[in-house]
Amino acid sequence: MHIVATQVEKAVLLKVSGRMDADNADEFDKACEVWISKGAKHLIADLAELQYVSSMGLRSFLATAQKLKSVSGSLILCALHGLPLQVFEMTKLTSLFPMFDTTQKALDSL
Amino acid sequence: MAQPFTRLRLPARVQSVRVFHQFVRDGAAVVGMTSADMDKLDLVLEEILVNVARYAYQGCVGDVEVGYSIQGDTLLVEVSDQGHSYNPLEATPAPDLTLGLADRPIGGLGVLLVKQIVGSLSYRYQDGQNIVSFCFPGHSTGS
Repeated sequence: MHIVATQVEKAVLLKVSGRMDADNADEFDKACEVWISKGAKHLIADLAELQYVSSMGLRSFLATAQKLKSVSGSLILCALHGLPLQVFEMTKLTSLFPMFDTTQKALDSL
Repeated sequence: MAQPFTRLRLPARVQSVRVFHQFVRDGAAVVGMTSADMDKLDLVLEEILVNVARYAYQGCVGDVEVGYSIQGDTLLVEVSDQGHSYNPLEATPAPDLTLGLADRPIGGLGVLLVKQIVGSLSYRYQDGQNIVSFCFPGHSTGS
């Protein structure tokens, strides 16, 4: 898994690529935590190149979203597709996250 | 005709999961599994192995073994450990998927995923071993 973070005016974009599994899901937690501790309220995860996510990855997404909700922020998911989308659907998580096709639409929603 | 099992034994820890993925993909390739289905197989295997790594030996070290057998165009997979008797398929209550974000528990989703992806899933305790087994079709026509 590879994470590239970019700060924009209203949010922080996190481009996540590769495979998020039990061995590395905490790297996503830590990357988000860095920005939350700096005061970021809205994180936008660009998942166009995320190929795989397991329940440990779901745990990271949920925990981060719950932290942001507690400060009136949000974790927005973009371009979720393929197996990761199916995993979110099977666990009924799609309704808990704001979701958009593109990061631009996500930014426009803020 | 049923073929014998090909087996690999490694320490029961999260860091072993990727090695098992590579190992089982050899069998998946033989039954003609698509790349997308191999990812689903990886997911099922990861969820079962993480459960073993967390709970089987209760803080002590131990091994976990993965075996696969080619059954026609289907892959039969067995995951076994010698930890205390523990059925991962019944150990945790199904999480409440109707709860909102603030109240949704962050755990308990792994077994749910396994059950949704794999049709034939079974657990048995035999000769001092927990054995979880499942079948995964090769030339899958499903989504």
